[in-house]
Amino acid sequence: MTLNLCVLTPNRIVWDSEVKEIILSTNSGQIGVLPNHAPAATAVDIGILRIRLNGQWLRMALMGGFARIGNNKITILVNDAEKGSDIDPQEAQKMLELAEANVRKAEGKRQTIEANLALRRARTRVEASNAIS
Amino acid sequence: MSCSNMTMLVSSKPSLSDASALSFRTSLSPFQAPPSHSPTSAGSRPTTGPIQCGLRELRDRIDSVKNTQKITEAMKLVAAAKVRRAQEAVVNARPFSETLVEVLYNINEQLQTEDIDVPLTKVRPVKKVALVVVTGDRGLCGGFNNAIIKKAEARIGELKQLGLEYTIISVGKKGNSYFLRRPYIPVDRFLEGGSLPTAKEAQAIADDVFSLFISEEVDKVELLYTKFVSLVKADPVIHTLLPLSPRGEICDINGVCVDAAEDEFFRLTTREGKLTVERDVVRTKTEEFSPILQFEQDPVQILDALLPLYLNSQILRSLQESLASELAARMSAMSNATDNAVELKKNLSRVYNRERQAKITGEILEIVAGANALT
Repeated sequence: MTLNLCVLTPNRIVWDSEVKEIILSTNSGQIGVLPNHAPAATAVDIGILRIRLNGQWLRMALMGGFARIGNNKITILVNDAEKGSDIDPQEAQKMLELAEANVRKAEGKRQTIEANLALRRARTRVEASNAIS
Repeated sequence: MSCSNMTMLVSSKPSLSDASALSFRTSLSPFQAPPSHSPTSAGSRPTTGPIQCGLRELRDRIDSVKNTQKITEAMKLVAAAKVRRAQEAVVNARPFSETLVEVLYNINEQLQTEDIDVPLTKVRPVKKVALVVVTGDRGLCGGFNNAIIKKAEARIGELKQLGLEYTIISVGKKGNSYFLRRPYIPVDRFLEGGSLPTAKEAQAIADDVFSLFISEEVDKVELLYTKFVSLVKADPVIHTLLPLSPRGEICDINGVCVDAAEDEFFRLTTREGKLTVERDVVRTKTEEFSPILQFEQDPVQILDALLPLYLNSQILRSLQESLASELAARMSAMSNATDNAVELKKNLSRVYNRERQAKITGEILEIVAGANALT
């Protein structure tokens, strides 16, 4: 049996093809999905999606959303997704430093929450851009 | 076109062979009396033939009309090309919104039995309403911006009558400048739409709306945007954005519910060389999927993750529709302007040629008369 993965964002389809295995970071920790997984629905956290394809692991940065697994078809709906190979590591690193500075500067509850979210997004992007796992 | 400008041009040169010009006109009037051109152009300018400038002024005006026509024509073409892009964006967003509605539907069905409490769907007694008004960034698109602002004003009036408070979230430069000029209208935030709406802009609006609603500052959020019906028709509409109905339905202000699963999208096509719009109503098939779906987290958490996505895609969709309407409005406005310019140019060159011929005739007459007098 093959496993079909479909990653959708509001703008476009990021990924739509067969994969061997994925590891998904959900709100309650990472889960691995192999063919013939039981049907499941899960919220997806801001984090890395690892995709195994031809013996190689690819990484993708996901910015939070939702995933549905069923009938050997995985549908991931996220606000934004970027392939690790598409991210410029230096730019991502810069963004991370900026986000860290913002967290230190943030005042008030709302600002802190927003800054922390931005930091997590930036960290995920840096992680995804590092090819060595 | 500016008739006053013409009279000014004429009056600025009163000494320029006034009598002769008059005589030409009287001699020409039998030809001009039956207005062969369309009545609309005759209505736009006095029928007595106001084009009575000198030859050089006429030439200048013809040139300037020619330039204006080029500009309006170019703007029309650009708008047409952009409508295509806007349409592509809508088509690209389709798989996402389709799947989202389907998933929402399914999960909701499974959650019907459970007593869930999701903040975004909570219906509270309404004390204050937030209106998200989506306008365009630029003018020169007919009544597009006015129509949506008028709709907003009407809605504000209604809310005032009901004794409810309101606040505005203005999206788009035109709306921003309108509300900035009217400081008595409370505005929560000014946002600017980009050239092509992306998830980021939708996210910014969604974040704002979200925090307003969650913090119970407002109890209802309405979205005012222009629905794209066809290239010549666009309706300003009001949609209730929050509280979300968990069944995936959007209700408009009259309580008429549109099921989001019954989704429309528009398609720009060419038919016999002309651009037309097809609007498809696509019933998203809510395909059955395994009833033994296992929830990785609490159902509440999953809905919490889903509903913001849904909110985003709704806002993005309205932004896209609004942009498409704006471009279509600009296209038809510019097409009208081009037609008018062509008409005006035709009239002007006719008058120019007549006057030139009359002048030559006059000169020949003078020479012949002179020669006759000599002999």
